[in-house]
Amino acid sequence: MEASEQADDFIPAALAVYGIEADEIELAVIRAAHQTLWPPILELLDLDTGGVPLERDPDLSQPPPSR
Amino acid sequence: MSTGLDLSLREQAAAIAAGEVDPAELLEATLGRIEERNPTLNAVVETFPERSREMLAAAPRGPLYGVPIVIKDEWPLPWRAQRFGAAEMLAAAEPGESGPYRALRDAGAVVVGVGNMHELGASSTGNISVYGPAHNPWNPERCPGGSSSGPAASVAGRLVAGAVGADGVGSIRYPAAYCGLTGLKPTFGRSAMDGHHMAAVSTTIVSGALCADAGDCRLLDSVLFGEELAAGEPQGMRIGVIGGDVSDDVAPAVREACEGAIEDLRQQTGGEVREIELPELAAATLATVLIANSESLGGITPRQLNQLDPELSPLGRGLLKYRVLVPAIATIKAGRVRTMARQALARIFEEVDVLACPTVPAVAPPLEAPVVELPSGWLTADEANVRGGALANLTGIPAISVPVGSSEGLPVGLQLQAAWGRDELLLDAAEAIERANGRRWVEATPPALGAEPLEA
Repeated sequence: MEASEQADDFIPAALAVYGIEADEIELAVIRAAHQTLWPPILELLDLDTGGVPLERDPDLSQPPPSR
Repeated sequence: MSTGLDLSLREQAAAIAAGEVDPAELLEATLGRIEERNPTLNAVVETFPERSREMLAAAPRGPLYGVPIVIKDEWPLPWRAQRFGAAEMLAAAEPGESGPYRALRDAGAVVVGVGNMHELGASSTGNISVYGPAHNPWNPERCPGGSSSGPAASVAGRLVAGAVGADGVGSIRYPAAYCGLTGLKPTFGRSAMDGHHMAAVSTTIVSGALCADAGDCRLLDSVLFGEELAAGEPQGMRIGVIGGDVSDDVAPAVREACEGAIEDLRQQTGGEVREIELPELAAATLATVLIANSESLGGITPRQLNQLDPELSPLGRGLLKYRVLVPAIATIKAGRVRTMARQALARIFEEVDVLACPTVPAVAPPLEAPVVELPSGWLTADEANVRGGALANLTGIPAISVPVGSSEGLPVGLQLQAAWGRDELLLDAAEAIERANGRRWVEATPPALGAEPLEA
């Protein structure tokens, strides 16, 4: 199934879950954003980060403590 | 006695301190300049002459005594709440003393106006704002960059010599590049941030200066940092050039100008250049957007999203609603990518002093259609710009955009990034580039102000 077809199903359903209304123009924006962001989001989800510890509250003014 | 209107920021400060410029005359001349030029630029969305005069009357003899400054519509002032460039900003906003305001006041500066910005800080272009877009002084039909559009257009249009912006995903550096300015995104947490409506939740936003050159940025950022950013002359600088799309999928004239500036920096410092692989960059770029978006949602409820101000742009309304749909697992994963990117940079900065790449891959696009043509094809400016702008916000490192050339009569910016806390090194490097090119690009003046068109 093409991403645009998936979006046709996903977007109205997801908005409905949250009870969020959107007019036609907003829906067009949401579809465009989804088509741009969703493929890289899927790649991100597929990325193997198993060996990477999550830095909790990282001090972003400093390098990471362990290298 | 000169009004000092067209002096640089540090020249204005020095001339006032030496008694050569009357700060009251400079303030009135600045207000007059805004009245004269702002109808074309829409850079300043509000002035408050009486408040500014009161600030001057009470100003201490600090490093910016009497110097007029524009501050982005992202920071509250004691007499004015920020509007974030939007009809509705979905966060509580009240007048108050923000950190940047307090820093300016305590340095003796005079806040002379509020700078326009892209609606909700949500774009690198500056083409949407509740006030109408700011215009690029180099070509008023082109984007000034965003989201700190007004601060950049104010300085490039010579309304003021310095402005305070904010950078959450490149929002100081993009407009600096589009408008031919120097703009520093400080190390996270190093510059004044309190009073920002997202200060408690944001891990990407910082305040920073937009000025004509690195010397002026050094002065204004020293005030925002609350400490002097000492100047040095770096020798043997190890320059890393980031490989991949961020350096290669770039308009040819931009690439040529940036490569020339990198070579200038190498020669000026007696340094070396090497290519650096950063395979984490694409994931890091997306991670930045996801983290910044999730942090911006804050306490927004579906009910609020169903009652958005109709004056908010359709684009803004749609994007706000889309952000809610992004799965939480993606944002969690983005946190791990942040760790990967920070670890990769920590290793890289043991081998190089700065990382270089074009700030943006093409010059300022038209306000009416902010898309850019790259070797890979046409992209929206936002898609293209975020490739280079996001990493510093994700990881906390400092980054600077330096004017290094022109194409189509519009400025080109080179971005340099350094390790955490090495903001001073970036200013030093920017000054080395200025010396190498005879300050050609920092002293260039937009043709609308009576100068000859830029030539590469």
